[in-house]
Amino acid sequence: MKKKILSILLATAMVAGLAVGCGGKDSGSDSKGGDKLVYWAMWSEEEPQAKVIKEAVEKYTKDTGVNVDVQFKGRNGQREGLEPALQAKQQIDLFDEDVNRVNGTWGSYLMDLEEIAKDYEAEHGNEILFQIARNAGGGTLKTIPYQPSIFGFFYNKTLFAKAGIAAAPKTWAELDAACDKLVKAGITPITSDDAYDTSFIGYHLGRYLGQDGVKALVNDPAAKDAEAVNWDDERVLKAAKDFEDFAKKGYFSKKVAGNVYPDGQNKEFAPGEAAMVICGSWLPNEVKAMVAEDLEWGYFNYPAVEGGTDDATANNIANQVFAINKDSKMSKEAFELITYITTGEFDKKMTEEALCIPTDKANADAWPTELAEVKGEFDATATFYDWAVGAENNGDLATPLKESTMKLMGGTMTAEDFVKTCAAAIGE
Amino acid sequence: MKKNRGMIIAFLTPAVLIFLAVFLYPIVRTVFMSFFKIGSVTDSFDLWEFVGIANYQKLFGTPIFIAAMKNIVKIWLYGGIIVMLMSLLFGVILTSGIRGKKVFRAIIYLPNIVSAVALATMWRQYVFAPDYGLVTSFFKMIGADKLAETLWLAPENSFKALLVAYCFGMIGYHMLIWMSGIERISPDFYEAATIDGANKIQQFRYMTLPLLKGVFKTNVTMWTVSSAAFFVWSQLFSSVTANNATIVPVQYMYMQIFGAGNAVTERNAGYGAAIGIILCLCVVLVFTICNIFLKDDDLEF
Repeated sequence: MKKKILSILLATAMVAGLAVGCGGKDSGSDSKGGDKLVYWAMWSEEEPQAKVIKEAVEKYTKDTGVNVDVQFKGRNGQREGLEPALQAKQQIDLFDEDVNRVNGTWGSYLMDLEEIAKDYEAEHGNEILFQIARNAGGGTLKTIPYQPSIFGFFYNKTLFAKAGIAAAPKTWAELDAACDKLVKAGITPITSDDAYDTSFIGYHLGRYLGQDGVKALVNDPAAKDAEAVNWDDERVLKAAKDFEDFAKKGYFSKKVAGNVYPDGQNKEFAPGEAAMVICGSWLPNEVKAMVAEDLEWGYFNYPAVEGGTDDATANNIANQVFAINKDSKMSKEAFELITYITTGEFDKKMTEEALCIPTDKANADAWPTELAEVKGEFDATATFYDWAVGAENNGDLATPLKESTMKLMGGTMTAEDFVKTCAAAIGE
Repeated sequence: MKKNRGMIIAFLTPAVLIFLAVFLYPIVRTVFMSFFKIGSVTDSFDLWEFVGIANYQKLFGTPIFIAAMKNIVKIWLYGGIIVMLMSLLFGVILTSGIRGKKVFRAIIYLPNIVSAVALATMWRQYVFAPDYGLVTSFFKMIGADKLAETLWLAPENSFKALLVAYCFGMIGYHMLIWMSGIERISPDFYEAATIDGANKIQQFRYMTLPLLKGVFKTNVTMWTVSSAAFFVWSQLFSSVTANNATIVPVQYMYMQIFGAGNAVTERNAGYGAAIGIILCLCVVLVFTICNIFLKDDDLEF
C-alpha cells in the first residue's frame, strides 16, 4: 500500500514537473502588457548601434521611470523569430529592421503612425526617408526611419590621386578611364564581395532598364509586368558585355571571384590594395579597425551608362525603421523611446559610434568625415531603388545570378553565357 | 497484472503524450502543410491556401532545387566514400594495438567537439584564404605556384573546398563507431587466425569486414541523416546569398521559409515543408536499401 501511494505521488510529481517545464517562463514575456516596454532589436549586442541604443534606453528609463526590456536578436533572430512571436501575441511593443521587410513582410502587425508622428516628422523628419517609409507602407506612415544608408562606390582618394585621377567618375566611360589609369599605376581598380555582387549587376542592369525593368527581367513575383523585359533583351547583353569588358581589361581584382563577404572590403579595400569597392554606407563602420592610415574616404553614386533609363540620381537608399506593434498597450511610451533613440543626442552619438548617416534633420551637419562625400550624392538622389535594384527579388534566381556575376567578373564566363545561364535558371 | 495496470497507465501517459506532441504532431503537420501555400510558418490555419501537389510539382521544375539535390547527393556519395574509408582506416589502425591509441583517438575526434560554425569559419578565413591561407602557403612552399593562385572559394572550386572541410570534421565521429564495432570482436578469433597462419590483411578481409556489416549499416544511416540535414557549412561558405555550387536543400528550405538574402522575397512555408518531406523520404529510402542489402543477423559472434 505504501508503495502504491509513493508511486502515485511520484507520478503526480512527474506530471506536475512536466507541466511546469512546458509552461511560460517569465512574466516579462506574457501577453498582458503592462509596466515594461518590450523592444526587439535587430542588432547584435556587440554592435556599436546596440551600445548607443542601450545608453538611450538607460536615459529614457531614468527620465520617465518606464522600464524597457531590450532584446538584441540580430538580423537572423529577428527574421526567424519575430513573426511567430507576434502571432503568438507575445508582448513586443516595438521592433526594428529594414524598411522593406518591416513594411512588407510584417506589414499586418504595424500601427498607423500618421497621427502620433505628426510633430516628430515636422521637427526631426528627413524628407527623403519619410517618403521612402510611406512608399513602403503603401502610402501610409507605419514606420519611423533611422540609420539611413546609400549603396554605391567607395574609393580610396589617396590611390586615385596617385593614379592622377582628378574627379570621381560620373559615367561608365569615365569609370573606364579612371580604371585604366589605376591599372597603369599598378593599382587594382575594383573589388567587391559576394554578398554585394548581385547588387553590383543589379545596379548596372538598373541603369539600362530602370528598376521596373530589372524586376520584370528577374521575374520578381511582385513585378507589375513580368514579361516587359526578358533575358533576350539586347540591353541585358550590353550590360553583361560591360562587365566582361572590365574583366578583360583587368579592372576587377584577381580575387574577386573568390571573395566571400567580408574578404573584399576587409582584405583588399581597407588596407589599400584595391582603389574602389561597391558597398553600402555602413562600410566605414565595418572596416574602421583595419583601414590603412593613408586611406582618405571618397564616394560616388553608381555611374550612368550611355542610353540608359536611369542616371546617377537613382539610388538604393535604405534604412532601418522602427515599428510599433498594433496590439501594443504602450504605444505612447514606445514612440517616446523611438524619439529618444532617433533624434538629438543619441542620433548624433550613433553617427560617432557607428559612423552612420544622421537621421534627425537637426543633426544634418553631424555627418561623419568618412561619409563627407556621401552627403551630396545622397541629397541628389531623386529615384529610390530597392535592395539590389530588385535583382534579388526572385529567390530562385538570386543564387545563380550571384554565381554567374562572380564568374563574369572573374573572367571565367562570357557575357553570352551569363545571359544564357540566368535565363535557364528561371526557365526562359 | 491487474493491480499494475493503473500504474502502467500513470507512468506511460506522460511519455506517450509528450511523444505524440513532440514527434507525431510536427510530422503530421509538416506533411499536411506541404499541400498548402503558407506565408509565415506560424500562420493560423485560416490563412493557408490549399494547392494540392503544386508545391512538389514546382520543386521538381525548379533548377535551383534540382541543383541543391544534386549537391546533397554528391556530398552524400563522394563525402560518404571518403569519410567511410578514412574513418575505417583510422579505426583499424587505432584498434590494432598501436601505442598512444587514446591520444590519436582524441586528436582525430577533436573537430567534433568544436562548433561547426567555428570550424567552417576557420576553413574559410584561414585554410582557403588566397594570400596567407594554409593551402596557398603549402603550394607556394613546394613550388606549385599555379596551384597556389587557385581561388578555393570561387564558384568553380567552392564545392570541392566545402567537401574537404566537411569530411575533415566528420571522420572522427564515424571512426568511433567503427572502433566500437571492431572492439566487440573477440581477440580470441584473431589469435586463432594468427595461429592458423592468416596475416593482418587476410584477417581484416575475412574476419573484421564481415563482422562489421551491422556497424557499416549504422554508419551509413548516421551519415545519411547528417547529410540530409546539411546546412551550416553551406550557409557559412556563402555569406548572405546562397552559392549555386554549394546550395543544399535545407538551405533552400530556409530561404523559402524565412526569405533569401537581403532582399524581401516571397515566402512559402508549405513549399519549405515539401522540401522537408522529400528529404525525409530520401533518408527512409537509403535506410530501406541498407536493410535489404545488409542483413546483420546472419552472423553470430
